[in-house]
Amino acid sequence: MSTVDAVAAAPVAVEQKAPRKRPKLAETWWRHIVGIVACLVALFPVWFVVSAAFNRDQSVSGTTFLPTHWTLGNFGTLLHNNIKDPSTGSPVYAPFLRWFGNTLLVATVAALCTVFISALAAYAFSRYRFRGRRFGMLALLLVQMFPTLLLVVAIYLIVYNVGSIFPTFGLNSYPALILVYLGGAMGVNTWLMKGFFDTIPKELDESARVDGATPAQIYWGVVLPLALPILAVIFLWSFIFALNEFVIASAIMQTPSHYTLPVGLNQFISGNYGQYWGYFAAACLIAAIPAALLFAWLQRYIVSGLAQGAVKG
Amino acid sequence: MTSATAPTTQLPGPARRRAWLPVVISAFSGTTGFAIKIALLSISNALAIWAAYVLATRHNWIVVAVLIGVTALVDVVFLTPRKWAVPLKFLVPGTLLLIAFQVIPILYTFNVAFTNYSTGHILTKAQAIKGIELTSLQQPNNGKTYTLGVAQSGSGYVLILEDQASGKSYVGTDKGLTPLPPGAVKASGGQIVSAQGYKLLSGLALFNAVDGPLQKLVVPVGHGAGIRAQSPTTAVELEPTLRYDPKRDVFVSLVSGAVYHDDGKGQFSNPTAGPLLPGWKTYIGTKNFTAIINDPTVKTPFIRVFIWTFVFAAGTVLFSFAIGLFLAVALDKRGMRFQRVYRTILIIPWAIPGFLSLLVWGGLLNSEFGVINNVLHLSVPWLTDANWARFSCILVSTWLTVPYFFVVSMGALQAIPNELVEAARVDGGGPFQIFRRVTFPLLLVAVGPLLIASFAFNFNNFNNIYLLTRGGPTFTGGNGVAGATDILISYTYKLAIASGLGNNFGLAAAISIIIFVITAVLAGIGFSRTAVLEERI
Repeated sequence: MSTVDAVAAAPVAVEQKAPRKRPKLAETWWRHIVGIVACLVALFPVWFVVSAAFNRDQSVSGTTFLPTHWTLGNFGTLLHNNIKDPSTGSPVYAPFLRWFGNTLLVATVAALCTVFISALAAYAFSRYRFRGRRFGMLALLLVQMFPTLLLVVAIYLIVYNVGSIFPTFGLNSYPALILVYLGGAMGVNTWLMKGFFDTIPKELDESARVDGATPAQIYWGVVLPLALPILAVIFLWSFIFALNEFVIASAIMQTPSHYTLPVGLNQFISGNYGQYWGYFAAACLIAAIPAALLFAWLQRYIVSGLAQGAVKG
Repeated sequence: MTSATAPTTQLPGPARRRAWLPVVISAFSGTTGFAIKIALLSISNALAIWAAYVLATRHNWIVVAVLIGVTALVDVVFLTPRKWAVPLKFLVPGTLLLIAFQVIPILYTFNVAFTNYSTGHILTKAQAIKGIELTSLQQPNNGKTYTLGVAQSGSGYVLILEDQASGKSYVGTDKGLTPLPPGAVKASGGQIVSAQGYKLLSGLALFNAVDGPLQKLVVPVGHGAGIRAQSPTTAVELEPTLRYDPKRDVFVSLVSGAVYHDDGKGQFSNPTAGPLLPGWKTYIGTKNFTAIINDPTVKTPFIRVFIWTFVFAAGTVLFSFAIGLFLAVALDKRGMRFQRVYRTILIIPWAIPGFLSLLVWGGLLNSEFGVINNVLHLSVPWLTDANWARFSCILVSTWLTVPYFFVVSMGALQAIPNELVEAARVDGGGPFQIFRRVTFPLLLVAVGPLLIASFAFNFNNFNNIYLLTRGGPTFTGGNGVAGATDILISYTYKLAIASGLGNNFGLAAAISIIIFVITAVLAGIGFSRTAVLEERI
């Protein structure tokens, strides 16, 4: 099955035609039991987070099936950055909105640039025959096998040294973090996109060329608008990658006001499950919103991207 | 057969209504795009010229040359009308980033894997020699002592010194001693009270200076000897106990006469007295790799981590696939009520950002405060006992991965032609037999490569381990770094950076290369199974 068959087939296959007749409950009762149990297992951590977010008690151990003391106070305290250490009463520095903003900024810019860069490269690999093309594609694949995570020491040293001369691109800099994420923009993304471009008929390019279009006009005006589904999938994957990325962000962002959410929340909650669970739960509910919206918006494309073997973390 | 199972090749794009995104994208094709290109090129050239200027003032000539070369290349590629440059226009932006942030770090990692780069071996040899000379300074018997005052001068510090024996006063910098006129310095009660022309530090500023930067400020007084602050109010003259002989490249002890040779491991060492600290970074060949095989303190934790990495990845994939497939089979009944509701809810764990789920699970499984122990009235050490922690890691990982295999299996099941199942039924096959002999083998063809991809992904699934258990609990009898749930990648990260026991960049880089090879082999198997590589190139 070629790439785009899979991309195109999956959403079609998942959508079902309207049933001609409903099967009797006597046949399907066990299926419903399986479904209900699975849904309970899938939902129970989510439910306890929701419950804790609206509960006054700050300890995990105080979390119950339903909040014992309903309150919206956790959200207020969290958003006003007003959290206090329960034993000493001194303020705890956890600027949630700042972290949230940092993360959205980095993830959005990185994802947009990733789509831009990888689509350019994929188009070249799909449409042009040039020397080193095959080598280039294999090299991309090989480079991608080296987990970016393991490069963190080298990346740190590069950013540190660049920063000692150009502080704008040094430690604690958003441009630096985004650029590092963009280092991995080609690779798997380019492969996926090339597969998609291959299925857009070359005759379209040809006829545009005959009409006198430049390569840039063909790319932007003809091919790219047709590739929207794969652009959406790559945007979502890159966004979620940057949203979840922990190690590189923790190495480059050194001061708490520059943290991204994974770094900040991890530091905020680890070892403090007994103290700030309610605030943390409220933070989780807010932090899950962007990804959930994107998922809902791009859902049908995601399923097709999935069929390609893209794996989410 | 119904048409629902037939794969079509029509694009799933917005076919009926014209969405705004394609319109925006195609706007880049004409003059707007050209203007943006010229603007971007101008900005990058301006930035490059400014950067080259800054670098030139710092005499960083190699970087300047690379910068000019790259900028010129970019300009040529984007401005020439020649045909050969067209593919390059598309490839240059990504390739430059790839080289800067992937290829160069990879080469650097390969380089480090053959060095002893680690805590105690960070410096260059010249810096290490200076460091050894500094640490060898000791106070000789009846050496001179001075009453000390500290003053700030420019960006550094100066020492105001009064010789306790002769009463003469001096100002000391890292260049040497300068005598001060008699009466310029007033001392009383073992303290310097004032010094003409200098503002003395006092209080916390003084203590911080003496504890920190002043430990490195040695005022040279000839013969390798020097004066250093000993307390906030006294300084002493120190003499070296080791002397570096540049001709023979050895350190000689001035006390015992022992000779310390460069032992090839990045340190000066004497057979009986041992090595001198600090050492320096040097190439040690394949020692990092052979240590994994031979050195028991490296080998034992490595093997345990290695095995667990495979168990974790395989366990996660097998359980997730089994459960996901079972759910897909159970819920894939045409016309069943609530099917869409079940499907939407089951995808939820996958739509939540992974790091949030992991931190939440950390709370739920917390043995002291955790919800699960509380609600079920248990006291299971979910994350603190080695075996329970391993169980928890696979459990949470499976919870995170089931939706993926559920969706994938669902798609694959529905893509299997109904005729095959019907034919098997006509031939008298039972439901289980049909599943085992018809559905499952067909499904495996579609899902097989995804199983391998998922295995490779979980093999390097740092977040799942590190955000849940930090790799702990730490083994007893290991090297104090590796923990029961550490997978190779988290172990490497801890070795390199985060163990609190110093950094072993060399060994970490060597293990990185091993992980790289394993991942590449796994991917190779995956691609050879699908033959997708040849087809796609």
